[in-house]
Amino acid sequence: MAVADTHFGEDLKKFGAFDFNACYNCGTCTAVCSLSDEQNSFPREMVRFSVLGLRDDISASVKPWLCYYCGQCSTHCPQDAKPAELMMSLRRYLTSVYDCSGLGRKLYTSKVWEFGSISLLALVILVLFIFLHGPMTTELTEQGGVKLNTFAPWKQVEIGDWIMAGMLSFFLLSNIFNMYLKIVRKNEGLKIPLKLYVTEFYHLVLHFATQKQLSKCDTLGTRKKFTFSSYWIIHWFLMSSYVVMFIMIVFFLGWFQTDNIYHWTHPQRLLGYYATAGLLTGVVWFFVARFRKRDEKSKHSHITDWTFLVLLFLTTVTGILVQIFRINGMPYPTYYTYVIHLMVLFPMLMIEVPFSKWSHLAYRPFAIYFDRVVQAAKKIK
Amino acid sequence: MAENFIRDSFDALVIGGGIAGGEAALNLANNGFKVILVEKDLSIGGKMIHLSKVFPTLDCSACITTPKVSEISRHPSITILTGSEVKKIVKRGENDFEAMVIKHPRYVREEDCTGCQLCEQACPVVVKDQYQYDMVGRKAAYIPFSIASPRVAAIDIENCTLCGACEKACPTKCIDFTQEATEYQLSLRTVIIATGFNLFDPLKIERFGYGKMKNVITSMQMERLLAPTRPFNTVLRPGDGKMPCRLAYVLCAGSRDITVGNPICSQICCMYSIKQAQLLMGALPMADVTIYYINIRSFGKGFEEFYDQAKGMGVNFVKGKIGMISEKENGDLILRYEDINASVVKEANHDMVILSVGLVSNPDNAAFFDRGELRLDPFNFVCQTDLLASPARTSIDGVFVAGTASGPMDIPDSILSAGAASSEAMSYIIRK
Repeated sequence: MAVADTHFGEDLKKFGAFDFNACYNCGTCTAVCSLSDEQNSFPREMVRFSVLGLRDDISASVKPWLCYYCGQCSTHCPQDAKPAELMMSLRRYLTSVYDCSGLGRKLYTSKVWEFGSISLLALVILVLFIFLHGPMTTELTEQGGVKLNTFAPWKQVEIGDWIMAGMLSFFLLSNIFNMYLKIVRKNEGLKIPLKLYVTEFYHLVLHFATQKQLSKCDTLGTRKKFTFSSYWIIHWFLMSSYVVMFIMIVFFLGWFQTDNIYHWTHPQRLLGYYATAGLLTGVVWFFVARFRKRDEKSKHSHITDWTFLVLLFLTTVTGILVQIFRINGMPYPTYYTYVIHLMVLFPMLMIEVPFSKWSHLAYRPFAIYFDRVVQAAKKIK
Repeated sequence: MAENFIRDSFDALVIGGGIAGGEAALNLANNGFKVILVEKDLSIGGKMIHLSKVFPTLDCSACITTPKVSEISRHPSITILTGSEVKKIVKRGENDFEAMVIKHPRYVREEDCTGCQLCEQACPVVVKDQYQYDMVGRKAAYIPFSIASPRVAAIDIENCTLCGACEKACPTKCIDFTQEATEYQLSLRTVIIATGFNLFDPLKIERFGYGKMKNVITSMQMERLLAPTRPFNTVLRPGDGKMPCRLAYVLCAGSRDITVGNPICSQICCMYSIKQAQLLMGALPMADVTIYYINIRSFGKGFEEFYDQAKGMGVNFVKGKIGMISEKENGDLILRYEDINASVVKEANHDMVILSVGLVSNPDNAAFFDRGELRLDPFNFVCQTDLLASPARTSIDGVFVAGTASGPMDIPDSILSAGAASSEAMSYIIRK
């Protein structure tokens, strides 16, 4: 039997929730939600769970991950209970639930932890560079570029890359495994044939690659199943840019971090430009939206939303500067900005990938995947 | 414009000739006080005279209102001014008020009109009939409605083409296009505010499609469709004149909703919807009626039994507020809602939707006082400064409030409130 937990609301407010106790269960939020369907109706049920503090039911639910925050529910809520913001805070809460280390929770609920860990991780990079950097030569390459790989040989940076990637994978995969336990294994007595994990796998790939649910946000009034909203395009541009950049720096660093200056049509430069443009456009767009607070989804910003945008912005800008200084043969500016670039990049990835915004990129498609598996298994039954 | 000017004095001014104002005026007059009743509309009787039946007894509303209305009209101590507005009230001292009232020209000499309707037949101009809530047309020369009091024609000068056809047709020559407004300067001893309520404007909620989708109507329109003096003599949906067989009620349309600025319960929508559902079961025996609700508030005497009776008659009650309505090509409507008991979002097809619109305050209720002199509550109803001990009292001593001017309430409560207001007004006059 479920036991009500009256302290849950206080707990959730630390993750950004508002006064959801105002809810009188009319269901308007669910009815105006474009993504609610008969299999998964939300957000009212999640509001109810939160009011009652049913932590187990919340942890076992995929619904927070199905919401892409169009804000229609908050706009039309007759009690101003802000269900959309509740769903957002539940996503933050769930990332902390999936994370056994307890770090996720600390990062969300304590500014000291959030900024302390960012500073600490940046300091680690700084110390590593102070002691391990290569010669700071002012000699330029034949093409007139800075010899960055002499100062920071890509092979050594790649070792660091792989250590980081290992830690990220460890955290993220263990979190996803935890999510699997909570969502799929929670259905006691439900036999799930192994085959289903394979047949439903395409959902994971499809939703990761397209984020197509987001495009359905806010289309209920028009009754269209798919629209290319500017919001979806910007989001997809940002997301794909991030993925391209992540793959280049982790798997192809030797190719990406080169001392050669290629012609601008070279894939190394084209992909770099694409990713930079995507990151910059996305970050500026969301910055502006959060400052203007015009649409419902940008009205309320948790401190971690700002941290994410600031870190991403600094990473992108310092990356651009490194490239400009390197190509134009300015050795010292190149070296210093490169160090700063990594001092921002490293905490950004370490904090955002397993515990914050970037983790949504993994949790959302996995939630849909797990849900499909469970639904399919129930159908067999 | 040279206006006619009349100076007069009365014991009491009652503002609003609805059921509350009428009741208050009658009480005062029956106790020997001289009353002037000022009504903005062309007929007294308020909203109640347009209703079909009343809950929870299912008595005919017009059959209760009309005898009362004629009693008021015939009372020697009551002077009625219809089509008139109170412009200004000044309190000069205790038991001493001065009011300025404008009687707008009707362009018909009331005392000569026999209500023969020949002008109506002659008039070539057709406009929407506001007394049938825009569902049918009326002429520009018209008798407001069949049981109006006074049952006297009026010229709708805004739509009139001044063709003179009515003038020629009138057998008593009572149509007078030269009529001008009359200003009354009144000396009074007490004032009763019974300005009533306004219906919530459903255009404010776009999701419900009112105004765009023809088969989405308000509960007041359904009230007319069911009334004895109804426009089509049966219940037809406005889109195509089809007899509806799947009707839906959307409760809390504009009540208990912060987004439209009206967070309070309107107190009557649950019960009148249940009443209409029962009447529909009689009017359309094959019809399915579904009421979508958040909570059914059947708090009054006999209300819960009335609710049970509706359930027993086969009215469907679904817990879940309608989130949005969309229209199919044939005019049928798709209602999207969350079935709260199942926690599942659902869509239902209906061929007619009735929005159970709530009550909002009438902005006229304080307009005639100096700004801020008459205190209003947060929802712009007249503030009852001593709600428990003296419920009709307002922030101005000697000014009392009756009926829905002080907040949403049903008919019996309005009449009770009018009783309280009139007796408090009388003791104020006597006390000196």
